[in-house]
Amino acid sequence: MTYFSFFKSESLLLWRHKQDTLNALLFFVIVVTLFPLGIDATPDFLTVSAGGIIWCATSLAVLMSISRMYREDYEDGSLEQWLVSGLYLPFLILLKVTVQWLFMIAPLLLILPIVGGMLYLSEESFWVLVATLLLGSPSLFLIGSIGAALTVSLQQGAMLLMLLILPMYIPILIFATSAIKASEIGLPYLGSLAMLLAISLLSLVFAPFMAAASIKASVNE
Amino acid sequence: MQSADFLTITDLWIERGERVLCKELSFSVQSGEVIRILGENGAGKSSLLKALLGTVLIDEGSILYLGEDITADRSNLHKDTLYIGHSVGLKKALTVRENLALYCPDVSIEGYQPILEELGLAPFLDMPVNKLSQGQARRTALSRLWLTQKSLWILDEPFSALDDQACLLLEKKIEQHSLAGGVVLLTTHIPLSSIQPRELEFAV
Ligand SMILES: Nc1ncnc2c1ncn2[C@@H]1O[C@H](COP(=O)(O)OP(=O)(O)OP(=O)(O)O)[C@@H](O)[C@H]1O
Ligand SMILES: [Mg+2]
Repeated sequence: MTYFSFFKSESLLLWRHKQDTLNALLFFVIVVTLFPLGIDATPDFLTVSAGGIIWCATSLAVLMSISRMYREDYEDGSLEQWLVSGLYLPFLILLKVTVQWLFMIAPLLLILPIVGGMLYLSEESFWVLVATLLLGSPSLFLIGSIGAALTVSLQQGAMLLMLLILPMYIPILIFATSAIKASEIGLPYLGSLAMLLAISLLSLVFAPFMAAASIKASVNE
Repeated sequence: MQSADFLTITDLWIERGERVLCKELSFSVQSGEVIRILGENGAGKSSLLKALLGTVLIDEGSILYLGEDITADRSNLHKDTLYIGHSVGLKKALTVRENLALYCPDVSIEGYQPILEELGLAPFLDMPVNKLSQGQARRTALSRLWLTQKSLWILDEPFSALDDQACLLLEKKIEQHSLAGGVVLLTTHIPLSSIQPRELEFAV
């Protein structure tokens, strides 16, 4: 096994399992459409809440799709093979998270114009939304991968434990939605974007190590 | 000076859950040796192999690899080890060829056509692993023995699900490996016909 062959096979695997990604995207679209139907479909309400709605839906969809990201690897013995491969486990994890991120965020960005239009998002806010997603979503995946690693050997309650990860999403959610809201009412938003970038960089540094430690513990169990 | 043992295990303690699997287990392994670990179901054979690899924690004891203490950090050992456990680590949604490309990326499958023929895998190269039989999947995992060059083979019940022809093929390969100076640690519950490994009784 090499880093490159690992990256290739992970991409191939996600492609073979594309139905899972599609399901998460479908879930995203459904959640986003439920808000106007359930609360208020007037442009006044939707323009100000669009950022929050899209970010809540994204966080849930991400959590859903990556909560089981190591499950198959655990069951088929791959985790053990990673551990004895002589390769650096945090880096393998980083590669796997990158693949997951690319496969989810690329289609999400593609359907975003439709979703944004549905929520009456102005053009400038739309681009701010894209920026928040690009800068903030890596941390969603990185932090989520810690949760997935922690719960990989649990038969029951894995989803419940994943919800424990949600509080760590709150700062990301706050900075992302405040950036979008600020742009909607003409206030500066670069500070919030910078914070999102900072959180992503921070999780880039810590999450692979924490996930690697959890995986080692799960395999040892 | 006498050259160092391939592996030296001293006073190993392994506990799993409530059970002490072994206490003060000591043995050493020389280059070219084939060692079979004996013990009933649940004795702790798999745990011992994993403890050597570092995926199961050891409570006490030390492990030397070529004279170097690797108890705290097995990365040097891992670089020269091929491990095939109960679960072999094949990706079910990938084909045989894709799995081999994952684990043995620097060889071309075409160069190994004869052995893949002999293992009966040649017609199935492009079939996803979840459509293979148990024995075919095990053969796919074991084909890594032919496709990679590592000194230490750790094989946990490699013969399970194999038919007689594949068992013989594997025994022959193990023999060759040991003649070439490689080391094999294995567990199995079936009698071996052509090789006589050194036996290591595993009991508390
Ligand atoms: N994940 C685990 N957590 C806790 N205890 C475990 C775990 N896996 C195995 N054990 C315990 O460790 C003991 C040894 O198990 P092990 O798998 O090493 O046995 P074995 O000798 O390989 O058996 P077999 O011949 O069936 O393969 C058993 O009592 C088992 O209950
Ligand atoms: Mg066993």
